[in-house]
Amino acid sequence: MTGLMLKISGGWLLTILAGLPLFASMGLAALLFLWIGGMPITVLPQKMAGAMNSFPIVAAPLFILMGNILGAAKITDRIVAFASAVIGWVRGGYAHASILTSMIFAGMVGSAVADAAGSGAIEIRAMRNAGYKPETAAAITAAAATIGPIIPPSLPMVIYGVTADVSIGKLFMAGLIPGILMGLALMVMVVFVAKREGMGRKPFAGFKAIGRTFMDGFFALMTPVVILGGMFSGIFTPTEAAAVACLYALFLGFVVYRTLEFKQLGPILVDAAETAGLVLVLVMAAGALGWCISISRLPQTLTPLIVGTIKSPIAFLLMANVLMLLVGCFMEALAAMLILIPLLVPAAISYGISPVQFGVVMVLNLILGTIHPPIGVVLFVVTRIANVSFETMSRAILPWLVPLLVVLLAISIWPPLTLWLPRILTGS
Amino acid sequence: MTPLAATRFDRVLQVVAGMFVVLLLATVSAGIVSRALNHPFSWTDEASGFLMVWLACLGWMVATRRGVHIRIRFFQDMLPARPWRRTEGMIQIGMALFGTVIAWNSIHLMRTNSDVEAMTLPISTAWMYAALLPAGLMTLVQACLELWRQMRGPPRLGGTELP
Repeated sequence: MTGLMLKISGGWLLTILAGLPLFASMGLAALLFLWIGGMPITVLPQKMAGAMNSFPIVAAPLFILMGNILGAAKITDRIVAFASAVIGWVRGGYAHASILTSMIFAGMVGSAVADAAGSGAIEIRAMRNAGYKPETAAAITAAAATIGPIIPPSLPMVIYGVTADVSIGKLFMAGLIPGILMGLALMVMVVFVAKREGMGRKPFAGFKAIGRTFMDGFFALMTPVVILGGMFSGIFTPTEAAAVACLYALFLGFVVYRTLEFKQLGPILVDAAETAGLVLVLVMAAGALGWCISISRLPQTLTPLIVGTIKSPIAFLLMANVLMLLVGCFMEALAAMLILIPLLVPAAISYGISPVQFGVVMVLNLILGTIHPPIGVVLFVVTRIANVSFETMSRAILPWLVPLLVVLLAISIWPPLTLWLPRILTGS
Repeated sequence: MTPLAATRFDRVLQVVAGMFVVLLLATVSAGIVSRALNHPFSWTDEASGFLMVWLACLGWMVATRRGVHIRIRFFQDMLPARPWRRTEGMIQIGMALFGTVIAWNSIHLMRTNSDVEAMTLPISTAWMYAALLPAGLMTLVQACLELWRQMRGPPRLGGTELP
């Protein structure tokens, strides 16, 4: 069975590279395994439906919906105003404010694309108006958007948690410190770039202005507090937090800021259904293929081989990082995750690496692919917003990968950065 | 399918998919509120499971109609027109096969589970597998449409359009 699965995996990879939609390539690989293995084909749809029949996965469409509502409600302006008042007065202040905005926005939406699309336009416009080069402004926005899926809530972490059978709550907690570190690392980079490119500064607006912008955006700024506070205090589960966050976002849009209209609800819901469909059909197909991989005992065969070849956990993590970064460059993050989880997570566990730490490392690795050519979706988004060529952006983003790679290295080799907070908050 | 019929079909599909998003949100919220009031509903978790399968399949159908499923076009788009077209043809045959298998076997699953009642809901568990039938059929039909277009029309690089 293991040999059969290995042969099928080779063909499966070829169909992916040939351009077959990923869900179908996974489904057909599972079908071939069942057919040659003499097992009933009904297992395929049964496992696909079974992958959806779990309460944690419900968080995925609800977080997508929340992101759509917040995007349509245009609450970003208030967050940008607050961030500019807090940090806009230092050299390269608009860049710092852009990163701070992304960090706050990351506590509301769970994806890098949503972060870039939701706050990118206003951030890039502010930086360009302040005289920043368009490609630098776009690169900062793209790099900061990668914080979106690291600071909770996070759609990739929900998918990782469901697929690898890891607590989504713990993954969310584990992402908080790395997310903050990413923001700080990018801010350090801004300090160097600001000097080199002669970025200006604006006068300190005063504590009154900070207070005023805080009060103006109070309810919007409270969104991460409601989501994270509710989850971390145990009042509700991540799935329930997603529902509460949707209702809170509707409350902000319709009642507090009145920036939403009822006619916008239709497109918001359809868009959420379509995005959910894209993601969930992958999870369904991965559920079926994952079952096939599991009964083929492929992980049990591969894991001793990996452990026998690579002796130390650090060496394994570094090699896994290189592999994930490479895969992330050529494949959509969620899809790559669903392919790599059955192969890498059992090996990581056998090295004694926590699947929670490995989850954060995996998400960060694959999210970096979204700001890297050739398939960087976030790069495409900011390129469109900033109206610069993709080639220019591909060069401009390179220096901004450095601070993010430093954080990746840090969370890979020092587990407390990811595991300390879950340990403190859950007591386990 | 005429363009008008296709547009109407897409509209109905989108409305139904949007309604399932609302239903899912309402069900999870009902679970939270009922628990907060110390009268927890027993059916919300199971209902969420049913709704998720349907929402996933409806979203799959919407994405299929819009031609936006995640695929790596990077290498395919490097091919000259004729090999590109042949590869696309093979891809659509694969999609059609997958859709057929899902639709056919979902009927079998529905038959097998028709007399199995859900734990907390007065419905058969066959309803869970019923969602796969339209999704499989949609994948099959759309793949056939794309294949027909590839065979008749000039080669088109970088994706397909909807009718």
